[in-house]
Amino acid sequence: MSQPEILNQAFELGFTYTRSTGPVVGRFLTELKKRNIVGIKASDGRVIVPPMEYDPDTAEELSEFVEVGQEGEIISFAWVKHPREAHPSERPFAWAMIKLDGADVPMVHWVASDSEELVSTGARVKATWSDDTKGYITDIACFELV
Amino acid sequence: MANLAAVVGIGQTSYTTKRNDVSIAGLVREAAVNALNDADLTWDDIDAVILGKAPDMFEGIIMPEIYLTDALGCNGKPMLRVHTAGSVGGSTALVAASHVQSGTFDRVLTVSFEKQSESNAMWALSNPQPFSTHLNAGAGGYFAPIIREYIRRSGAPADVGIKVAVKDRLHGARNPLAHLQLPEISMEEVADSFMLWDPIRYLESCPSSDGACAMVIASEELADKASKPPAWIRGVAMRSEPTMYAGREEVNPQAGRDCAADVYKQAGISDPRKDLDVAEVYVPFSWYEPMWLENLGFAPEGEGWKLTMEGATSLIDGGDIPWNPSGGVLSSNAIGASGMIRFAEAARQVRNDAGDHQVPGAKLALGHAYGGGAQFFAMWVVGAEKA
Repeated sequence: MSQPEILNQAFELGFTYTRSTGPVVGRFLTELKKRNIVGIKASDGRVIVPPMEYDPDTAEELSEFVEVGQEGEIISFAWVKHPREAHPSERPFAWAMIKLDGADVPMVHWVASDSEELVSTGARVKATWSDDTKGYITDIACFELV
Repeated sequence: MANLAAVVGIGQTSYTTKRNDVSIAGLVREAAVNALNDADLTWDDIDAVILGKAPDMFEGIIMPEIYLTDALGCNGKPMLRVHTAGSVGGSTALVAASHVQSGTFDRVLTVSFEKQSESNAMWALSNPQPFSTHLNAGAGGYFAPIIREYIRRSGAPADVGIKVAVKDRLHGARNPLAHLQLPEISMEEVADSFMLWDPIRYLESCPSSDGACAMVIASEELADKASKPPAWIRGVAMRSEPTMYAGREEVNPQAGRDCAADVYKQAGISDPRKDLDVAEVYVPFSWYEPMWLENLGFAPEGEGWKLTMEGATSLIDGGDIPWNPSGGVLSSNAIGASGMIRFAEAARQVRNDAGDHQVPGAKLALGHAYGGGAQFFAMWVVGAEKA
């Protein structure tokens, strides 16, 4: 008896969805549109950026927004030597954890730099805004070394 | 032998088409805080959190439990997610109860939710696969032929489903949390509504709701000291079977009958219609009331529809065994939460805390959920007394 052909076929599955950001993340994104960066004060006094809806220690609802600086320092980073299509930059760049002035925790964004050597822990960076801000995290086009 | 456990707090959101004002975290949070407040407790009083959620593809968030830990005060505590399709709200409550009945934890918070306005529940249930015809059916299309077969076998009159649709909406009009508020609904209006999946009309189907439900379940010792009357858990059961197999009884599934027999035995129930005061049963399409009346032993096979037509299941008509006084799934359907809402509403009844839809003097109540292709069953019996 001959062996049957074992068939296989690739297929795509896609659906449409909606997201509501709620009052805290919604506020963060709305402020980005106005070219401001806000964090939120946690129960222990730390300023968390981007803001969280609930306190990581006490689980209480958080509501005290704090505007933070648009400059900060690199806490850690990963250099991307060969960017791929999905990356935010066509040129080599760094993913970085950036602690903004006035914030107590770093946030992840990317840093434009002409070379890997210029990027280091402790290096100062500054937010660069997109020409057209929409309330997306990409309203911060990138961070540049100061 | 399991330890005694009881529901000591219940919290729900109101159910509505769209909750644009909150994130998913904000939605589950609202129900959880309401349950803590009802129990007069704080986050620190909770030992573990058990979360239930319908399939991830509904909202398109993979493992939402990870993102929801902050909102549910789980940091530093055990948390567990339960998956059993549409019955998940019921099985989640049972998993939470088992963690207390086993003595593992003294007080557990259990939460379930659905934000249908952000989801794609209709088509995520019915995804195309290679080498198969895409049915484009959804839940109604799946259950319609099973309902048709019930009608054929039982010889039930054509308006039984219409009667259930009216009855549950009149019940829902007494429940301020219910999504559909249709106090003026009539048999004619239901009969004239669009035929969605023959024989299921638009008004014989559940709505799409956003909402969440939560409960606090506590050990006997803590429940004895609770600030409000506890709902004592008198029986718990779950059963499953495959969606399809040769000879499967789809109208009156074996898993449902076995699950009911198990939970009744634990609660000392021999005649459910007589022994129970009220039932909150998962009826997403109107005809599932007579079908489940039979599956759950409230009526002999082929005669469930008679109870519906006599008004036995109507709170408003003074029926002897009201079904879904909250308005049921036909009035609010936040899918992942719907099973837990049945369990919580059964508990509200025996706590004598169900407001305008209270069944007078209810002492013993059934909460029921089913899911998948009517293949997952979860049930509990709760009572005003310990035994």
